[in-house]
Amino acid sequence: MENRTVNNIKLGAFVLGGLLFLVVLLYMIGANRSLFGATYLLKARFENVQGLVAGNNVRFSGIQAGTVKNITILNDTVIEISMLIDKKMLMIIRNNALVSIGTDGLVGNKVVNIVPSKVSAPLAKEAEILQAKRAVSPDEMLQTLYTTNNDIAVIAANLKTTVQRINSSSALWALLSDPSIPKDLKISVAHIRDATGKAGNIVDNLDLMVEDVKVGKGLLGKLMRDESLAKNLEAAVVKINRVVEQADSLAGEFSGLVTDIRLDATKGKGTLHTLLRDSLMAASLTNSLENIQQGTDGFNQNMEAIKHSFLLRGYYKKLKKQQQKNEKKQE
Amino acid sequence: MYKLPYKMIASYLPSLNIFLKEAGEIARFTGRFFTQWFKPRYEIAELLRQCFVIGYRSLPLVGLTAFILGLVLTIQLRPSMEDYGVASQLPAIVGIAIIREIGPVIVALIFAGKIGSSIGAELGSMKVTEQIDAMEVSGTNPFKYLVVTRVLAATLMLPVLVLLGDAVSLYGSWLGVNIRGNTSFYLFWTQVFNSITFSDVLPAFIKSYFFGFAVGVVGCYKGFNSNKGTEGVGRSANSAVVVSSVMIFLIDLLAVQVTDVLGLN
Repeated sequence: MENRTVNNIKLGAFVLGGLLFLVVLLYMIGANRSLFGATYLLKARFENVQGLVAGNNVRFSGIQAGTVKNITILNDTVIEISMLIDKKMLMIIRNNALVSIGTDGLVGNKVVNIVPSKVSAPLAKEAEILQAKRAVSPDEMLQTLYTTNNDIAVIAANLKTTVQRINSSSALWALLSDPSIPKDLKISVAHIRDATGKAGNIVDNLDLMVEDVKVGKGLLGKLMRDESLAKNLEAAVVKINRVVEQADSLAGEFSGLVTDIRLDATKGKGTLHTLLRDSLMAASLTNSLENIQQGTDGFNQNMEAIKHSFLLRGYYKKLKKQQQKNEKKQE
Repeated sequence: MYKLPYKMIASYLPSLNIFLKEAGEIARFTGRFFTQWFKPRYEIAELLRQCFVIGYRSLPLVGLTAFILGLVLTIQLRPSMEDYGVASQLPAIVGIAIIREIGPVIVALIFAGKIGSSIGAELGSMKVTEQIDAMEVSGTNPFKYLVVTRVLAATLMLPVLVLLGDAVSLYGSWLGVNIRGNTSFYLFWTQVFNSITFSDVLPAFIKSYFFGFAVGVVGCYKGFNSNKGTEGVGRSANSAVVVSSVMIFLIDLLAVQVTDVLGLN
């Protein structure tokens, strides 16, 4: 009897062990399919679902978030997928998140990927339709890969030619094997370093100058910053303009005068034409000037004689003394 | 002109006749089981004893076989998986293979070998030593006491053995994965659970009831109808294993057709 009880306990443990494994198995599958726990519905619409079926996983940023509940054909170009999303995601998924259909690995099952947008937006509500992002199909990827392969083949061929040319270039290898080049390079680098330092100083100075100009120091700063100077300059420029205009008109008048004189001198009958062009008049004028000179000399002699005459000698002495007084005062 | 091989066909007729006769008798035997099952008095104590003998005592053999199965399957699959660059999917593929098909069928075959032969030999020896007749004379219903309890025990215990066999087999698979790789226990089970679905587990679980029922019915039929002395006992045990094994594959074939029709594959 006791043996039978022990056997029954063993049997119970055996059966419970099997059932426990079954329950765990079913629970884990159910949990993966979002059958247990609270969920909410989100939707997305695609042109092509690429073999997606109900029960496929939905991931949010790579984390398991739910499963595809069903797939409905709305019309010939729009297919709507409904997704059961874990309620924990209600406070995470926003209504501007992008939905795309991908593959779990290279050869795995189809999965729906929900990717958050960088722009903030309200949280997605129950049964809200999220924006679908068109996924790149394997055919398109292969097509791109084909083009890329062709390009790589061309590049590889060019690279091969270049390497062959480099390998066969004696000048290049001579240059590379020249021991003096590293030394020269070092010197050049040192020079470049010095030049860079100096350029840095120049830039610093320029910076200071710019700072001075900004605060209105120096002539340039005043020019840039002083409003009164700018006004004066503007007034001066206006005046200069006016003077230039007057000078221009004066030059015009002078030019007209010169033209008149030229005409009068060449073709006219006036005094100037007579003075410049008439030779008789010139001779007569010369004689007259000589006569005037002679008259003036005679007049000077007469005046000197008058100075020494007793009638006017006192007057001239007095005039001389007055002149000497004035010179002393000035000294 | 093609001539029909009448003589050859005629030579197979007795065997066909025997096969059909036996199929009919098994069907009648099964019908008798169902009629006896519902009638009181219920042999609960004998049922529990048979469950212990058939189920619990089969666990070491089934466990060892399942463990080796999981380990070997994983080790042998790895090179091919590596060739295709999907070695990381090894837990998922082995998990689906074991839970969906290999686990139930292999455990059922082991069960048929151990329990089918055991029931056939036990009931056969009881038959040839006229113990069954003696039971009938003493007022005990031998069919109810011997057959119904054993068939029910086999039907109920095989699914439990399959479940435990699956668990042990997956554990062996995890060890197999870690012989040449490094996958944590948690990651292994996560990958297995992520890959399997209800349509993998439930059909396999349900068909294991049919496997158990077939092993029980065939074993009991062969033993219950044993004759020709001790030689007949051996023949009953042997044919119980052979027929129940064939029945397992036939049920598996039917099950896969049914699941295909239901869209569960």
